[in-house]
Amino acid sequence: MIVGNYLAAAVLFCLGLACVLGRRNLIKIVMGLSLMESSTYLLLVSLAYRNKATAPVLADRPGHTSERDLVHGNVADPVLQNFCITAVVIGVAVTAVFLTVVVRVAQHYRSTDADDIRELRG
Amino acid sequence: MNPAELLPLPVVLPVSGAVLAPLAARLHRRLPLIVGLVALLAALAVLIYQATRIYRGDGRILTYFFSNERPVHGQSLGIAFVADPFGITFALLVAGIGSLLLLSALSELGHLGPRELGGLACLMQLLLAALIGAGLTGDSVNLFVWFEVAALASYGLTGFFLERPIALEAAFKNLVLTSMAGFAVFTAAAMLYATSGALNLGQLQRAGPGTPPRAQLVAIALLVAGFATKAGLMPFHAWLPDAHTPVPGAVSALFSALMVGLGVLALARYGLLVFAHVHALLHLLTALGVVSAVLGALLALVQDDLKRLLAWDTVSQTGVLVAGFASRTADGVTGGVLHLVSHGLFKALLFLCAGAVVHATGVTHLRDMGGLARTRPLLAAGFTVGCLAIAGVPPLNGYASLGLIHEGLDDQPVVLVLAVAAQIVTIAALGRAAYLGFYRRRSEPYEHLEPSRLGMRISLTVLGAGCLASGVLAPQIVSQAAGPAAALLLHPESYASAALSAAGGRVPASGVHFAYWEPKTLLLSVGELVAGIALMVTVLRVPSASRPLQWLRRAHTGSVNDYAAYAAAGFVIAAGALLA
Repeated sequence: MIVGNYLAAAVLFCLGLACVLGRRNLIKIVMGLSLMESSTYLLLVSLAYRNKATAPVLADRPGHTSERDLVHGNVADPVLQNFCITAVVIGVAVTAVFLTVVVRVAQHYRSTDADDIRELRG
Repeated sequence: MNPAELLPLPVVLPVSGAVLAPLAARLHRRLPLIVGLVALLAALAVLIYQATRIYRGDGRILTYFFSNERPVHGQSLGIAFVADPFGITFALLVAGIGSLLLLSALSELGHLGPRELGGLACLMQLLLAALIGAGLTGDSVNLFVWFEVAALASYGLTGFFLERPIALEAAFKNLVLTSMAGFAVFTAAAMLYATSGALNLGQLQRAGPGTPPRAQLVAIALLVAGFATKAGLMPFHAWLPDAHTPVPGAVSALFSALMVGLGVLALARYGLLVFAHVHALLHLLTALGVVSAVLGALLALVQDDLKRLLAWDTVSQTGVLVAGFASRTADGVTGGVLHLVSHGLFKALLFLCAGAVVHATGVTHLRDMGGLARTRPLLAAGFTVGCLAIAGVPPLNGYASLGLIHEGLDDQPVVLVLAVAAQIVTIAALGRAAYLGFYRRRSEPYEHLEPSRLGMRISLTVLGAGCLASGVLAPQIVSQAAGPAAALLLHPESYASAALSAAGGRVPASGVHFAYWEPKTLLLSVGELVAGIALMVTVLRVPSASRPLQWLRRAHTGSVNDYAAYAAAGFVIAAGALLA
């Protein structure tokens, strides 16, 4: 089942990349990058998965478990879940900057086609 | 006070300055400059105080664990700052050159409104803080955080002058390529943690021996792709020349002299300290470095836009740097550390001169320039000093660092020949730029010439003097700073033990000495100069000589899809080389 998650993450990543490489519309390029980003979230959460483990809420553990159980891995890996939250926050900031630039590009060039926006070359 | 406890300060000070600068701008338009300078100079003072403990005397490595989360049984999840000679050298360079660039940027653009000045000061300090943090951190995910902070600040700085449409175009390309690099670095750090349970670079190194599992090799390929994008290595480089073209000179200088160094530093750390046992990684880095060195220099030779030409030269110089580090010899790595400093100094000088020329005359292309040696003697002198330093003319700093790198490449003849060829083309490209821009006669005078500012003159003088001083004092710098830094990079286990102990560690002894007048180095340097000048004269006399290189320019189509495809292909090649 977890292998399925990895495969899904890989497929999502490739779809996003195909969008960035093949689409000339700037908005679609940004969407492709967002898709690539979401695939990393899925990968991180799947890497944190442990068989038969609970959520890593360490403050109030279920009654039948002891602290030793927590240390020995009866919870999903909290470190990777932390990374995932960090990635979501950074992703929001980057997407905001992206869309700002795209809006300004659309105002200046009256176009969102990547082929109209290639003055800098060589 | 224990100097290790002061380690967060060099990052905290510029971040506070970045927050305060836009607020201070509301009170007076000169205040952002003053706030920024105070923050950066204070950070520099703290770094110098720590550097005296690290470089000389007891030669210690300082380690600081945030929130006092120390390692337990050699395992650490807390973030550590590890000040080793290599990281502190980079941090010192960033704080020193960064304050000069802030001074020149805010004095040259002093005509802007207070909001713009505050924003510019904020973004520049944020970028500098991220670079200092990247130099000091000993944690793979923390390194990603600084990478991302630097990337966000660089997007802001590239698109800062939104009135120029090409700035928008450059910002978009920078965003696409750098955010792809960000995913790569982040996924790699997570995969390394998932396979080895280590975040601390020292712990990662210890988890290492033996052939790593395939998942780790993919993670290493992702790391190479991510940091090579930041370093501007081919084929991940396409954002770099675009981002340097529309921004003011001081911001280009900040990108080229310092930000690119983040990628080189991370590649050197991972290649030499953490994954020293993965031999394919060093071959891969050598190949990337040599390809960038040669192709970047060739593209600089045929470029007509002055700042773009310097940006292509940055691609070439970082290639040389990475090849030096990847040689994994004492000479090559010492030369790499020294060249990181030299390149910072002379490239900042060259970009400030180029930016001042563009600012004063409004002309961006070499074909429209000329005669500036007469009207702008200080700029001409600064540009000439920078060119001579790159060319490796003896009293200046490029001579020592390039000499050491070439010596380190001695046992790889093919790499050495290509590095020397790249150096010859570089000399020709910069000589051509200096001749066309400054020394050629110009029949009619410029339509208007802006006066140059005091802050800019101070920065140019200090950077020029820095190029000369670090060249003259090269033997001392090698034995006190660059040698120990290289010794540590070549002894990963001493870094690992220092990064996992709150008491820090010791710097191993270095056996590298730089003999200034060694005939071999001198002869090679003279030979490169003669060949470079001959090539320059050929290119200037026979314009059709550069026609065979046009295909290289045509490959840079300006389309963001193509550039992303180059980067993706680069990753596939890197992964293939490591997994094969």
